[in-house]
Amino acid sequence: MASVTFDHITKRYTTATIVDDLSLEVKDGELLILLGGSGCGKSTTLRMLAGLETVTSGKIRIGERDVTSLAPRDRDVAMVFQDYALYPHLTARENIALGLKLRKTAQAEIDKRVSWAAEVLGLGPLLDRRPKDMSGGQRQRVAMGRAMVREPSVFLFDEPLSNLDAKLRGQMRVEIGRLQKRLGTTLLYVTHDQVEAMTLGDRLVLLDGGKIQQMGRPMDIYRAPANRFVAGFIGSPPMNFFEGKITDGVFVSESLVVPLPESRRPKKSDGPVTLGIRAEDVGVAREGFTGPEVTGKLATHERLGASTLLHLEVGKDKLVAAVPADVEAKLDDNMTVVIDADRVHLFGADGQSLFA
Amino acid sequence: MKRVLLYVGLALAAATFVYPFVWMLAATFKPPLESGTLSIIPDNPTFDNYRAMWDRAPVGRALLNSLAVATTITIAVLVTSSITAYAMTRLEFGLKKVALAVNVAVLLIPGQLTLIPNYALIVKLGWVDSYAALIVPFVFNSTAILILRQFFQQIPKSLVDSARLDGMSELRILFTLFWPLSRPALATVGLVTFMGSWNEVLWPLLVVRQQTKMTMPQLLTVFTLGGGAGQLGVQLAAAMVLIVPIVVAYGFLQRYFIESMAGAGVKG
Repeated sequence: MASVTFDHITKRYTTATIVDDLSLEVKDGELLILLGGSGCGKSTTLRMLAGLETVTSGKIRIGERDVTSLAPRDRDVAMVFQDYALYPHLTARENIALGLKLRKTAQAEIDKRVSWAAEVLGLGPLLDRRPKDMSGGQRQRVAMGRAMVREPSVFLFDEPLSNLDAKLRGQMRVEIGRLQKRLGTTLLYVTHDQVEAMTLGDRLVLLDGGKIQQMGRPMDIYRAPANRFVAGFIGSPPMNFFEGKITDGVFVSESLVVPLPESRRPKKSDGPVTLGIRAEDVGVAREGFTGPEVTGKLATHERLGASTLLHLEVGKDKLVAAVPADVEAKLDDNMTVVIDADRVHLFGADGQSLFA
Repeated sequence: MKRVLLYVGLALAAATFVYPFVWMLAATFKPPLESGTLSIIPDNPTFDNYRAMWDRAPVGRALLNSLAVATTITIAVLVTSSITAYAMTRLEFGLKKVALAVNVAVLLIPGQLTLIPNYALIVKLGWVDSYAALIVPFVFNSTAILILRQFFQQIPKSLVDSARLDGMSELRILFTLFWPLSRPALATVGLVTFMGSWNEVLWPLLVVRQQTKMTMPQLLTVFTLGGGAGQLGVQLAAAMVLIVPIVVAYGFLQRYFIESMAGAGVKG
């Protein structure tokens, strides 16, 4: 077990910079999520730590050890891949044991660790099957077993659940979290799925354009996004945005007027401002939920069961509101909803939060 | 009725392919007087043709030479071309694209064109009448490299990543991971190389004069053209001996062709 330090890491190809001066410390035993859209540099960061990509500049340390120029096998890390990367011609048992064999581990020890992994992951009956005779979930378990038996300093998971169906993904997500707590091994987990990121991680790092946009505990990021990108990326449905400006403590846009409560008034607010509000902070007026009102035409609604998402057209803008399932809504009708002014987010012209 | 006609047609077509071969096989067992007939069952079967062939030319030695040369070349080509194909698909190095372009360009040069320079080189090296002259010019094969390169490209990158993390060296990845996964391609390359080298006549004729170093097709050519064989039956017997190893090799390797790629995929 060990901490991981990225010290001003840059990865540049001839035409593009994939990771741009990234510095990050992962604590010993932490489950850290690298989240971002495709091409944000999250996988490259992970692969640089594994030694599968070279580093253009900067240093990577595992514990106190500088691993920047070490071969992958000398870094004491184990990786789980999106496509599992099991050796097709070997059985599950041989797949799990191979890394230990190559490290000249004694056979008795190999057997012990393979049975341990098989027990923890429920692989017992599958050990003598080949990958092609297993389901996706089973293969993923074998891939995890292969990483576990190595007892590495750091686990690296590169979108391990992306090839699984939704139900299995949810189940495996819980299992991975539980397993990591049990083993206490540092784990870096790359994903583009924000549900995975929110539910699994101790800490979340959101990347875009090779740079860290924000890091912190998932709920802290959700509640206080550092910039407009983060606000739009985290949360489903995405946050609603309105372009306008603030005059005398009132946000005014073409479609919206929101008097800002004392707590939500930024110190500096000249120039254009973007107001962001999450769907769950917009609702129909009821007791205990009042505030600035806005009226729009109902363009569509999505019934999710427990709640309903109303998509309203407010002038040129669109506004999504999450309301209780029993709210009556008819398409093309005008509906009035209420904005919880205590929950608005404000961003300056540069996209940065005005509350930072 | 339609079906019957179809089968009759197919059987006839098959017969036109098979008949000459069967006739040839039969002719080797016919005495000289009979060998001109079209029948495929010898009236008076005899081993005289084989005996005559064996007595008149050092066939045993030539077969051993051919086997040694073709086997060495095949193994060498499998090793060199898979190493090259691996480097071309899995390693990063400068001039990678140039290397590929050169490899393709080499394919476009007809062998006859390099015959004379190659011969001059062999003479300079003092390799005339040696096994080296028969083997060395063939140990690198650009067609084999291209076939394996195409095949290796289909092996997922993550498999190599995973093997590197598991601690395998590049050569180990090639021989313990890529080779088992590429059996159909290796079998194809192996068989084509073996056949090509087994059947090669022109090059041995140029660089080998000693009868003890001659390969089977070369000996057969010299033997037949030189009139040493005499009767048709003896010539055909010699040709038969030449064909058999290829048929046997094909029999062994054929199942790998059938083996589908289904087992090699890693994605679910």
